[in-house]
Amino acid sequence: MNLVRAEVERLAARRFAQLMLVLLALAFVITAATTVVGSHRPSARELAMAHAEVTAAINSMEIEHERCLAVKAGQVPPDENAYLPRDCSELDPMLREQLPVVADYLPGVFVFAQQAEPLTVILIAFLLLFGFLVGASYIGADLNSGGVVNLLLWRPGRLAVLGAKLGTLLGVMVLLSVLATVVYLGTFWLIGQTAGLPGQLDGEFWQKLAAGYGRGLVLVLLGSVLGFGIATLGRHTSAALGAFAAYAVVWELGARVVFEILDVARIEQLMLSTYVGAWLTGRLELFDGSACSDGPGFAVCDGTYTVTAGPALAVLLALTGAVTVAAFATFRRRDLI
Amino acid sequence: MSAVIEIEGLRKTYRSVRKGRRVAVDGFDMLVEAGQVHGFLGPNGSGKTTTLRALLGLVTPDSGRMSVLGEPAPERLVRVAGRVGAIVESPQFFGNFTGRRTLRLLAVAGGVPTARVDAVLEQVGLHERGDDRVKGYSLGMKQRLAVASALLKEPELLILDEPANGLDPAGIREMRDLVRSLADSGVTVVISSHILAEIQLICDHVTIVSDGRRVAAGPVREVLAGFDRHECRVRVTEPERAAQLLREVGMSVAVHEGVLAVGGAQEPELITRTLGEQGLWVGELTPIRPDLESVFLELTGSTPHPALPRQVGGSVLPAEEADTPMIDLDVTGDRGVGA
Repeated sequence: MNLVRAEVERLAARRFAQLMLVLLALAFVITAATTVVGSHRPSARELAMAHAEVTAAINSMEIEHERCLAVKAGQVPPDENAYLPRDCSELDPMLREQLPVVADYLPGVFVFAQQAEPLTVILIAFLLLFGFLVGASYIGADLNSGGVVNLLLWRPGRLAVLGAKLGTLLGVMVLLSVLATVVYLGTFWLIGQTAGLPGQLDGEFWQKLAAGYGRGLVLVLLGSVLGFGIATLGRHTSAALGAFAAYAVVWELGARVVFEILDVARIEQLMLSTYVGAWLTGRLELFDGSACSDGPGFAVCDGTYTVTAGPALAVLLALTGAVTVAAFATFRRRDLI
Repeated sequence: MSAVIEIEGLRKTYRSVRKGRRVAVDGFDMLVEAGQVHGFLGPNGSGKTTTLRALLGLVTPDSGRMSVLGEPAPERLVRVAGRVGAIVESPQFFGNFTGRRTLRLLAVAGGVPTARVDAVLEQVGLHERGDDRVKGYSLGMKQRLAVASALLKEPELLILDEPANGLDPAGIREMRDLVRSLADSGVTVVISSHILAEIQLICDHVTIVSDGRRVAAGPVREVLAGFDRHECRVRVTEPERAAQLLREVGMSVAVHEGVLAVGGAQEPELITRTLGEQGLWVGELTPIRPDLESVFLELTGSTPHPALPRQVGGSVLPAEEADTPMIDLDVTGDRGVGA
């Protein structure tokens, strides 16, 4: 417990962590300020017009649906300029995932219910970067500067020391993420209440937001562990940064181009970014062009495939687990000179 | 007296793709008993720091047996870590932490009352600068901070690797006084250093290592006595005649610029008597005692040679590859380390 206490203080006192916190706060302030400046509370007239436009849009959808049904029933001739799906249920407003809402027709008005999800994704992206960099710097700088040696002279249990450091990092990241999210979303909720619209904040909204945020938090923790693990293996903060840059350039960009030239099937499945996206969004629909290249045409070939959150998490956990086990195993036997 | 540090047959090889294989410590033995102030000497790259790192669990030896305060190291080091204070080489600290904060964090991590921080800052002379950032410290101040960190635990065994690094003459003297006071209070101290005159002043026992092997060990007095050739420097009228007379009574004499270097003079009074009986009056007779520096240079083969720059940290050849066998100069005679 003493070790964790000391580690929390060391982590909090690190210049790099403090700098990242300042950047996080700065990003908050800038985003919030630009949102406030770019938003206004809608007038009664704007609201009435938006309501009217929503009604009109839904009516138009219903008309399209009914026309489709009529064409299929042979009651009216098909219009060459209008879209006619094979199955008219595609146009049924009742079966749509999302119907037009008032917020869609209120330009320049910040609607919290509509913006909360993309705002959370931005926050998660920043926290992911924060976790990776701080995780790498926390152990990397300590290994490089002799801080770990100093600590081991006091606490000769290597695995316990490294475990305490990793545990501290994860604990701090959870706390920071939750705190940052509360402040961040709270600020935007307040903006919605005062300088925009709150939107429809029902149970379904909060449930969906919480689920997305939970997945994001897991990603932040995995990123922190990865940064920590790679820096431990490479004995330096830059090892993690280098590994990340090398992976992005060599694999995500370079190998992708090579695979495309070689017509490799389902290239996206070989990329980590796919699993990050699938885990974050819950489900990723992808298209494999090579699946249809030899066929008679796209009309009969369905090259789409799906990566869901479950397999995505399994891949991310396997990678992070492998790096962590390797980091601990190496650190246990490594000569600290 | 009980053994505080025991090392037997320690061997450590470093392997790297770039530099290949390098034997840093090769069958090294060491014994430090409770209450000793033990000097650990050796040229650069001779294996001192590797030995201390192995003892403290920072490097993994290939073979050998070590124990610290009766516990096998590094396996059970955790049991005695609270009683061992150590600095290895020049410890690095976070530059933007103050000295006080650095020590407080170590105290918290080690479960030591933070009240000790002020006491050790005072002890090493850093009390006034304790709230300055470490990046503003001189090398000597950082060294003092390192010693302070080792003292936080009120250790029974204190291991100091080059504690005088970067210290000015006054700082070296303060360090000497500090070590003495610690030794007086019953702390066993192991000091690795290049400042041989300091070691001779501070330490009562010494282990000398060369090329990863122990070449001498024992009480400083006895180690020096082993190299006493009973030489005297004699200034006398008619030096050539005096040299002849002394040779006739079985002494070896060399004359250089009118001064005699007389060897084999077990009893210096024999010189005055022999010369006095022949009417030659001695103006100066100074027994030449070996000091630690001359013994060290002789044992480690590191005597400077004007024509041959000495190479640092050369690899130790494995015993079977060595051209010449090691000479066992272990004055304690308890354990030979020769090949």
